[in-house]
Amino acid sequence: MSNELLPIIVFAPIVLGFITLFLPRALRYFTAPLTLLVTALVFLGAVGIFQDKTLSYSVPIFNIQEISFDLLLRNTSLSSFMILFAAGFTSLIAIYSVKSSMDNKAANIFYGAIMLTAGGSIGVLLADHLLVLLFFWEIVTVALYLMITTGQEKSNFAATKTFAMLGASDGALLLGILFTYKICGTFQMSHIAITENEPLAIAAFLLMAVAALTKAGAFPLHTWLPTSGQYSNAAVMAILPASIDKLLGIYLLVVLVLPQKGLFAMVAWDLRLVLAIIGAATVLIAVMIAMVQHNIKKLFAYHAISQVGYMVLGIATMNPIGLAGGLFHMLNHSIYKSCLFLCGGAVEESTGTAELEQLGGLGKKMPLTFMACFIAAMSISGVLPFNGFASKWLVYQGIIQMGKDTTTTAAILWPLWLVTAMFASALTLASFVKILHSVFLSRMPDALRETKEVSAFKFVPMMILAALCVIFGILYTLPLKIFIYPALGFKGDLQVLGFWDSSFATLMLMIGLCVGAVIIAAVSIGKKARKVPTWTCGEIQPNDSMIIPGTAFYKTVSSLEGLKQLYSWQEKEVFDPYTQAGKSGSGLTNMLKWLHNGILPIYMNWVTIGLLVLLFILCEIW
Amino acid sequence: MNSLGQSIIELLLLGFLLTAVVGLVASWIVRKVSAKVQYRVGPPFMQPFYDVIKLLGKEQTIPEEANGFVFCLAPLVALSSVILLSTMLLRIALQKEGYFAGDVIVVLYLLAMPSLALILGASASASPHASIGSAREMKLLISYELPLLLAFTIVLIKASGQIEQSQLLSLAALSGLKPIMSISGCLAFLVSILCIQAKLGLVPFDVAEAETELAGGVIIEYSGPLLAMWTLEHAMLLVALPVFVVELFLGGFDSIILGIIKYVVVVVLLILIKNTNPRMRIDQIMKFFWYYCSPILIIALVLAVVGNFLGIGWL
Repeated sequence: MSNELLPIIVFAPIVLGFITLFLPRALRYFTAPLTLLVTALVFLGAVGIFQDKTLSYSVPIFNIQEISFDLLLRNTSLSSFMILFAAGFTSLIAIYSVKSSMDNKAANIFYGAIMLTAGGSIGVLLADHLLVLLFFWEIVTVALYLMITTGQEKSNFAATKTFAMLGASDGALLLGILFTYKICGTFQMSHIAITENEPLAIAAFLLMAVAALTKAGAFPLHTWLPTSGQYSNAAVMAILPASIDKLLGIYLLVVLVLPQKGLFAMVAWDLRLVLAIIGAATVLIAVMIAMVQHNIKKLFAYHAISQVGYMVLGIATMNPIGLAGGLFHMLNHSIYKSCLFLCGGAVEESTGTAELEQLGGLGKKMPLTFMACFIAAMSISGVLPFNGFASKWLVYQGIIQMGKDTTTTAAILWPLWLVTAMFASALTLASFVKILHSVFLSRMPDALRETKEVSAFKFVPMMILAALCVIFGILYTLPLKIFIYPALGFKGDLQVLGFWDSSFATLMLMIGLCVGAVIIAAVSIGKKARKVPTWTCGEIQPNDSMIIPGTAFYKTVSSLEGLKQLYSWQEKEVFDPYTQAGKSGSGLTNMLKWLHNGILPIYMNWVTIGLLVLLFILCEIW
Repeated sequence: MNSLGQSIIELLLLGFLLTAVVGLVASWIVRKVSAKVQYRVGPPFMQPFYDVIKLLGKEQTIPEEANGFVFCLAPLVALSSVILLSTMLLRIALQKEGYFAGDVIVVLYLLAMPSLALILGASASASPHASIGSAREMKLLISYELPLLLAFTIVLIKASGQIEQSQLLSLAALSGLKPIMSISGCLAFLVSILCIQAKLGLVPFDVAEAETELAGGVIIEYSGPLLAMWTLEHAMLLVALPVFVVELFLGGFDSIILGIIKYVVVVVLLILIKNTNPRMRIDQIMKFFWYYCSPILIIALVLAVVGNFLGIGWL
């Protein structure tokens, strides 16, 4: 594999995507296949990159005094597997959305943004120069902004909010990078290892961690995710916020904190408590909000936040098991969450709505979507033997192992992290039961009788992702050995605390299933099950009045004393930094407006006061 | 590691046959003692067996609107997860060496599977009664899960002072300890009894079935062989859950006779709670578990941590 592959795989999609953005809509019959082709080639290239982990490429661009800005790309075992999956998700979602985006007014913007995402995300993962990383990081943000604008009406608001929040965090990243340069005198990531625990280093670490956590969508900087989830296309959510943004955010976090190898390994070690608190708060708060949502995509978006908490908790343990668990959970989450968003999109396309109240009983009309959604929902809830369980199980063990050390606060509080993480898993199950009930099970409203299954373009990507959930669950040691352990630099097998033989357990569950099936079959030979109408206490009821929608499921929780007030504050966006920043911003402008009232004498007064102050300062009268 | 054939035999004999027989006997005990409390005669010993056999011979009905596949699969999934669960637990009771399928976290997750299957089966039956029932069952699960996890963590904390960390997640190693002999462990045990009462859907936590208000709720549309599966699964849970509590808190089956006595004590506790309380509303249950049981256990957890730190065993 030649080293030239690296710049080609990064810049070819970016250039093509950039050109595509400006092409007229009539050319969409040309750009759609182009998108498929480019993403497929990028995936092939990613496979090549995964196989050869020694690639590197550097080209000097310019020098200003000592500051050299070189295009440094290098392949590591941590980035290579993420590149593989980023490229895989991009091409799957390109297949999923290529047909339905044809009718979109901004079809070419969508296609262009997909290619930008492919190139930009791989660029972030390959970059060895902090400013190069920032450049690609920004391209991904812009691509997300562009993609969200192609959504429904009001998507502009969502896109702006997303861009504002991610842009602000990118600003933090820039500042963090500059601080890092101040400390180390270099931008080259492989040469940076900050060991001094000085205030500037802590500030740099926190700023860069803010960027990583905002990208991944951790509490409290998560609020762009639900808003964009509600108004943008499901495919957009599946490609960026659900999968690639998680990969990038967690990648940056791991690059910062990885013990011994990370940029800020020593600093991060002392700040484990901060990370653990963010992780635990994210897990619990987001899932509590998710439970009471009424819109499929918004509910999924809150879960995309909640699951980040497991990854951050896993990383916060900073022991091998926890790190492996956090990274594995990131991989698993990308798989099942993009599958879920794709299912949500399929349901929305077939029925025309994503509101839970108007759905129901679709399991019979859309069996393939149901199956994919069911598998992904079970995976995210950590039901055995799917993949979500395996990674959560590792994270729990990481937390338990952290408890061995009794000197730091983060370690002493391990029961808190453990209970929060495990309890949130039950709450996740609760909200996915709600989804399965109100979308696919329960009764079908009369309005949906004519619903049809989506086309093969849509269900094939969903099935592939669902199959990955099953494979990564039953044979969970396989992805761990191929992707995760090499990425973290572990030699050989990892010594875990517990024991989980997933394939054996699956076999045993299957045998148990057969026991029941054999008994049923034996007693029902020659008998046929009779179809009966639903028991309605003898009354005759119209179909629609017999539907109990899942939206009513957790009213008990949201009206529980103590939680009621929190939920109502949350509804009013009291905890949303974007809304709060907007409010304080408008407060500031109002004050300025009040000062600038256009009356000359008042301006004169201000000028006089200003001059007096200046005079005092200049003459040092105090 | 055992050979595969041996494991399958263990699964069928221990996990299915033994558990089913003991479970049906236990459900007879529940009914008989309840009858005695209410000045009734109660059913004959074989009644639970007759019930299951009779149901197996009945006609199977499936609601027209139901998602037939999920509706039929749900009781089988519940049964198979209880079979695996009880195999894992009974192997430890019989002092067999080595892991079977998984550690104690796996056991905790397996415990939720029957409830999940019940909820999905009820949702699939497309009945409004069953929908309400499944909503309640789900809320019940998230209510008792918090105190149950706290209790489990207390056991882990107590154990972390006594056994190697590599053994911490082995239920067999945990069952050698007696967390009940401390204040925090005792509180955890008492709350866990309430949690498994809720897991079993016994009064006062029988909101999901609630015959008098929901006419069976989650299982309203089930009949014939599939209902027999639910009955059997429920009876088997009557073995698995108390055994789990015995192994987690009471020192397990150090000798078979003593173990059986512990098991019977736990079952009798469950029966007594069942017969002395009226059914609670779902919001009362949530408040009970989240606002009363959980804070108590958080205090217990702090006690356990402090006790571990200072080396005081009885805290």
